[in-house]
Amino acid sequence: MKVKGRRTGYCYAGIERTVKRAYYAGRIVVLCVAACLLMSSCQGVRKEEEKKSIRIGISLYRGDDTFINNIRSIIEEKAKEYERESGIKVTLDIQEAKGSQNTQNNQVERFISLGCDVLCINPVDRMDTSLIIDKAMTAGVPVVFFNRQPVEEDMNRWDKLFYVGVDAKETAVLQGKMVVDLYRKQPEAVDLNGDGVVSYVMLEGESSHQDSLIRTEWSVQTLKDGAVPIEKITGGIANWERSQASALMEQWLIEYPDTIELVISNNDDMALGAIDALERAQTEGVNVIGIDGTTPGLEALENGKLLGTVSANKEIYCSAVLELAASCALGETLPEEYPLTDGTYFWTPQEILITTIKENP
Amino acid sequence: MIGRSGKVMIVLYIVCLVVLFLMCSTDLIIREPERQIYQIAVIIEDVRSDNYSNFRKGMDLAAAELNADVQLITLYEKLDVKEQMDLMDREQQDGTDALIVVPVEEEQVSAKQMTIPVILMRAGVAEAAGAGNVIVDHEKMGELLAREILEEQPADVPVYVLTDPAGQSDMDRLFLKGSDAVFQEAGRSVQRIVRGEEERFFTMLEQPGAEAQKVVILAENQDILTEAAGVMAGSEAVADAVGGLYGRGTTMAILNYLDRGVIMGICVTDEFSVGYYSVREAVRALEGAGSVPTVMESYYIEKKDLRDPAFEKMLFPIE
Repeated sequence: MKVKGRRTGYCYAGIERTVKRAYYAGRIVVLCVAACLLMSSCQGVRKEEEKKSIRIGISLYRGDDTFINNIRSIIEEKAKEYERESGIKVTLDIQEAKGSQNTQNNQVERFISLGCDVLCINPVDRMDTSLIIDKAMTAGVPVVFFNRQPVEEDMNRWDKLFYVGVDAKETAVLQGKMVVDLYRKQPEAVDLNGDGVVSYVMLEGESSHQDSLIRTEWSVQTLKDGAVPIEKITGGIANWERSQASALMEQWLIEYPDTIELVISNNDDMALGAIDALERAQTEGVNVIGIDGTTPGLEALENGKLLGTVSANKEIYCSAVLELAASCALGETLPEEYPLTDGTYFWTPQEILITTIKENP
Repeated sequence: MIGRSGKVMIVLYIVCLVVLFLMCSTDLIIREPERQIYQIAVIIEDVRSDNYSNFRKGMDLAAAELNADVQLITLYEKLDVKEQMDLMDREQQDGTDALIVVPVEEEQVSAKQMTIPVILMRAGVAEAAGAGNVIVDHEKMGELLAREILEEQPADVPVYVLTDPAGQSDMDRLFLKGSDAVFQEAGRSVQRIVRGEEERFFTMLEQPGAEAQKVVILAENQDILTEAAGVMAGSEAVADAVGGLYGRGTTMAILNYLDRGVIMGICVTDEFSVGYYSVREAVRALEGAGSVPTVMESYYIEKKDLRDPAFEKMLFPIE
């Protein structure tokens, strides 16, 4: 018993010592970790205080899209304005993803490794932004998406994700309203052959783009709601592209000669493609309406080739992208002049631009 | 039952693990091989970079291959030499390793003292062009284009030059210097249409009967050429009165107009390579390697040349 007791006492003393040592070692480790954390946070604070420049990584889904190119140019101008007014140097890294989500993901990785403070992304595939968000969240870099709206589940993953765009339904309703108003004022300007029915063709954008479906559905619905007697001859997907729309229209003009009275296009580029085909076929009088208010679109509107377009206020659009990005980069509160729906979405105001109403000969 | 020494070992083991983790996370033991990334700023003479799309592609390729982080900076005001020099100072202060400058005024910019390497994109062959210069000889380009015009157009067709003297860069000035010299030598009369007068000029061409006396138009730069092509594309009367529209540059708009037959011929240089070489020269300068001035060739191309594989590769480079 004695031996046992002695041995037991020895063990207790040993454990006590070990626990004490472990306790002290643990304290040292904790102190070290705390010191490291304190040092790194102090560095962070100093970095924030000294921030006199911001770097924004911008990835565009494609470089040859007219609307996106317009947006790109205006964002560049806005960045310079911001730089001048605030004295904060703005560096823009602009890359084109050439329609490849994989390329865009790599670009995002590069932006983060180059130390971009914020990303502005025009996604290639709005359904496939989770990887971009993962990378941004891991690096703590906020993201302002624009033009192509990621799915809600993705947008809800983090409070540093924003979206700037236009309300697709509003766009479509305005496009339809443009024709409704004209029809009410001057039916013969829309119903060209006077048969009481407006025969139209529809040029649609990419099927994977949220705006294509909504624009197509609601522009037609608005025409119906506005009591315009319409009949769809045909329609096709031209993927937002002028050349594809031109080819489709050329084919329709052969298939349905002297029938088409109205071309409804999901964007200006495709509307211009339809105009190209009409000019080649020397067909006059057909009304063509678009969306976006791109520079070539506005030129066509001025020349009377395009009946009308719906234009987002691109100045506000681009200012919103830049101001949101800059505020995120500087860790400032978001600007009040760009109120966010649900703390995430900024909807840009839009307007109808229509050419002088033509007299039907 | 674990003995005393066993427990001590466990504690030591845990402490070691924690210490090793901390050391690793602070790069004390495992140090990532450091890759030197050179910060290079490209300061152009324009307020927009639209005319530099192929240049940018070349620049980006060189940046990826040579570990450079390249930024393209535009001016607030076009051709503002003071601002360009201020930007050079700003970039130097901000820690940029090297600069590539498309100078507003070559003399002033090349005379500026900088502590970092500066690669100049010269518009003409300078007498003392040494290392760190990428040269596109615009005077030679103007001569080449004028000779092609003389060859293609009848001798009695008047030549009109669209120019903007107030917004003229060194490139524009040298380009016209070259073309003027050739026209003068050939005894051809050249009339200048300065900025602000072009509307009246095109209205004149739209008048009935104007097409009877064809004219040739030469635009001094990309912007003016694109505008003129836009007018011709939008007005059949003007297009009929113009025997040929010529200029320089490789923007997508210009190439599209060339393809549509609105523009008859353009002088170009391999802008993709210019972008690539300029970054390469900057990196060479930073690494202390020997550098020689790079002189670029100019080419005259027409619509038929757009599909020529050699030109296609140059005009539509794949990134």
